[in-house]
Amino acid sequence: MVLNGGTDVVIQLRDRLINPEYVVDIKRIPGLDELRFSKEEGLHIGACVNMNRLGGDENVRTYYPFLANAALSVGSKQVRNRATCAGNLINASPLADTSTPLLCLEAVLEVEGPDGKREIPINEFFVFVRKTTLQKDEIVTGIRVPYYEGAEGIFTKVSRRNKVDLSTVCSTVMKYAGQYRAAFGSVAPTPRRLPKTEACLNEGPLDDARIDRAVELALSEVSPIDDVRASKQYRLDVVAMALRRGLESLG
Amino acid sequence: MKYVGQSIERVDAIRKVTGQAQYVGDFHMPRMLYAQVKRSPYPHAKIISIDVSKAEKLPGVRAVITGECYTKRCGLYLEDKNFLANKTVKYQGEAVAAVAAETAEIAQEACDLIEVVYEELPAVTNAIDGMKPDAPLIHPDLHTYKVAPIFFPKPHTNISHHYKLRKGDVDKAFQECDYVAEHTYYIPHVQHVPLEPHVAIAQYEYDGKLTVWASTQSPYAVRQALSVAFEIPLNKLRVISPYVGGGFGSKAGTTIEGIIIPLAMRCKGRPVKLQYSREDEFQNSYVRQGLHCKIKTGVKKDGRIHAVKNEFVWDGGAYTEYGVNIVKAGGFASAGPYNIDNVWTDSYCVYTNHPVGGPYRGFGMCEIHFAIEQNIDIVAKEIGMDPVEMRRINGLRVGDKTCMGETMVVSGYHECLEEVIKDIGYGEKSESTNPRKVRGKGIAAGWKSPSMPTNAGSAAIIRMNEDGTFFLMTSGQEIGQGSDTALTQIAAETLDVDPKLITIRTGDTDHTPYEWQTVASRTTYCAGNAVKLACEDLKKKILELAQIKLGAYKRDLEFKDGYVVHKIYTDRKVPLSEFALGLAFDDGSGVGGPAIGVGTFTLENNINYDKETGIGEHPVAFWTIGVNGAEVEVDLDTGEVKVLRMVSCFDAGKVINPETFCAQSEGAMVQAMGTALFEELILKNGHILNKNFVDYKIPTADDMPELDVKYIEHAEPTGPYGARGVGEPLMVPGAPAIANAIYDAIGVRFNRMPITAEEVLKALKEKANK
Repeated sequence: MVLNGGTDVVIQLRDRLINPEYVVDIKRIPGLDELRFSKEEGLHIGACVNMNRLGGDENVRTYYPFLANAALSVGSKQVRNRATCAGNLINASPLADTSTPLLCLEAVLEVEGPDGKREIPINEFFVFVRKTTLQKDEIVTGIRVPYYEGAEGIFTKVSRRNKVDLSTVCSTVMKYAGQYRAAFGSVAPTPRRLPKTEACLNEGPLDDARIDRAVELALSEVSPIDDVRASKQYRLDVVAMALRRGLESLG
Repeated sequence: MKYVGQSIERVDAIRKVTGQAQYVGDFHMPRMLYAQVKRSPYPHAKIISIDVSKAEKLPGVRAVITGECYTKRCGLYLEDKNFLANKTVKYQGEAVAAVAAETAEIAQEACDLIEVVYEELPAVTNAIDGMKPDAPLIHPDLHTYKVAPIFFPKPHTNISHHYKLRKGDVDKAFQECDYVAEHTYYIPHVQHVPLEPHVAIAQYEYDGKLTVWASTQSPYAVRQALSVAFEIPLNKLRVISPYVGGGFGSKAGTTIEGIIIPLAMRCKGRPVKLQYSREDEFQNSYVRQGLHCKIKTGVKKDGRIHAVKNEFVWDGGAYTEYGVNIVKAGGFASAGPYNIDNVWTDSYCVYTNHPVGGPYRGFGMCEIHFAIEQNIDIVAKEIGMDPVEMRRINGLRVGDKTCMGETMVVSGYHECLEEVIKDIGYGEKSESTNPRKVRGKGIAAGWKSPSMPTNAGSAAIIRMNEDGTFFLMTSGQEIGQGSDTALTQIAAETLDVDPKLITIRTGDTDHTPYEWQTVASRTTYCAGNAVKLACEDLKKKILELAQIKLGAYKRDLEFKDGYVVHKIYTDRKVPLSEFALGLAFDDGSGVGGPAIGVGTFTLENNINYDKETGIGEHPVAFWTIGVNGAEVEVDLDTGEVKVLRMVSCFDAGKVINPETFCAQSEGAMVQAMGTALFEELILKNGHILNKNFVDYKIPTADDMPELDVKYIEHAEPTGPYGARGVGEPLMVPGAPAIANAIYDAIGVRFNRMPITAEEVLKALKEKANK
């Protein structure tokens, strides 16, 4: 069992949900805390970069503000000093806050294991609730995020309480080179892009009828459940609201 | 006054902010053992068998107990409780066995090895269903239980108390009304969420002496209950309560102490500690009872409320030894702070297979006022009257009779109301800059009296040291509310000495004098009276000596700044320290002895009401009345409610410390806001779905509205320096004020809390579809 920020592992240990023979702390491995950006290579987020550092980074705030907002929406300040972006993805919760901006940005996970290095595009990473395509004995060493000149995005998080809460629904709507992308969390077993919705939005000019049609498609592409945090219906209402508000802001 | 009414620094401030204050969780003792509890997975089941043999064999285990070890029931008002389940489990999480071991981990492992066979029984998961004749009985032997004479269980039902209030002729009065309406409300279970979860240590010595260190609001009541349950004489049972990290009612009465004592008795000489986790705190301490509430209101054309008929059905949970008294309090305050001639109330306490209901800040008042104060707004709107006008017409004035028939001797209702109306800008619309957000304002009032035994007692001792400093000893418990500071100020005022010269000591039944409990917002009032009397006793004794020393009549002498001073010839004075060991004469002899003052307080002529009608001349110590205003902003797309501003004004009688009063008011408003918007213990078939902070939300700093605190002071005739209790009443009007503000914003009524974003959005959609 790999220990990074520990904000999921430690809780699972305390609740006796896991009983690993060994817990290996990776925080001191050189290079894993690297956070660098260039317009040519994009953004590299080392596996041990925590949420406060990611969300507060000047380049991330300038070139990926919606990713910064997502990172800073996680937990409390204390939790964000521990929690890492890589851990947020590997935990594979359906409502991982940094997953929807990274899905829209088509980030790539850099993986290393006994057989060497490989890369997994984020849209092939999530399999089911808490299940990913990461193999046994592999670890994620970093996340690569391409740079999109002039891209804009809106991150929305709706939760029961404004701060220190999990998402009831989270989403990112992104516009790049006149094309829209949309990803939602906590509306399906994994966070996901909405391809049919995006296709509709990218077919022609964005007018009211198209937005209505896109919202309708979005609702057909998600499959939220009733749980202790919200009803299915409320989540559907929020999906519609977040998509509309996102599109209105992006124009 | 010199010290009363001043915002002196809290006497516990430095110890608390530097981490020096010791809580029970901080205590680690040599040879300490750690306890863990085996809990029921079912809300209602018969225990067929418990096999502890594997657990007992685990190395490091020192004792294992089950409910069969101690079958004696106990309870504060109704002896219906076993600390460990006996024969049946009555709620999910109920203790069925417990282990003491060398480490908490071994104890936990041992609990896992205990094998319990259950036969599940049909559960009562709704209080209304629990009242039906065919409901499964949770306490089939209820008719044999010992009960205080002011409570009335119904044998062979799940009703553990039926409180009745009968004032006037309600049926006739409804005939005389111009408008009659009935509305229903539901208030779910919530939890207190003290920062420090319950924790206790017990040590049983070879000579039969039992010492319990507990995070508790009521060391003496705990001592009494444990003495009955374990048949230990009071002189052999010592309860120590050091600093307590928040109580809000949850640490009144006994909860975890009864589990560790039998363990300690089996491990003589070794302290046994049990520390609740947050999950335990939500499930196994106390919760606020749920309430189903029906109010029928009859009004006259002029807005006068002529008749009210209430039915309150309280979801008491598995044991109601304490809860029955909340049901009584909710019943006798059921008309709210209004002058209504005809009132009929039935208030029922119903056993359910839910977590145990118990005292929670407000003691029933927050729950019933969520209904009463929305009801006023609803009825006012229905007859075309401004709700504020309706409150002006019906609010209790001095000389009016309450629903219990007693005459109000003080009432700040109307002044508080006008103050809040002005401050919140009632009637003036404010607009959000965002067109998808709308704002509204609401007002609600509230009242509360201490729901304590009519003869509840308090005692205090003041001792002077040789240097003129003092020890003040009471068992009023500091639980964060500021009682140590308030009681010190009362002593300082009475003795006219600097509060810094007084050290307060509390919470040790072997050494600090009797106090019934720190509940009922009674500490400043009851313990405060005892402290004042103790200081007056000391003064009287010292003045006897001073008249010899100063050669003057005692009527001409007074206490001033640490001296006894002649009132006229002010240069004739003696420092108090000269009387610390009595008065010494030149020939070496002395009189008087060490200076010590004793004060005891029981409110006189506080008499139980009539059992059949609930009517009485002087059934409660006092009423505290106040008003809240709230302004909210509602997001029409998400349903999210943001409380922008809250205003509180109460008649405090006399504010002992304005700073701590302000802190109490702010805390109360925020706690009320938490219950109004976020909090609910979600129960499904008797199972709690959110017993953690992930899914049980209380407000954070980010949710804080702008808070404005005001007060007025109409002295309480029997209170120390005119003070009356405020800690709980301050929370009472908050939630309905917010609900009324939400109505003002979006025109939708919520008869259930919490008013979550989801509920608001659903209601907005329903409204749009109509």
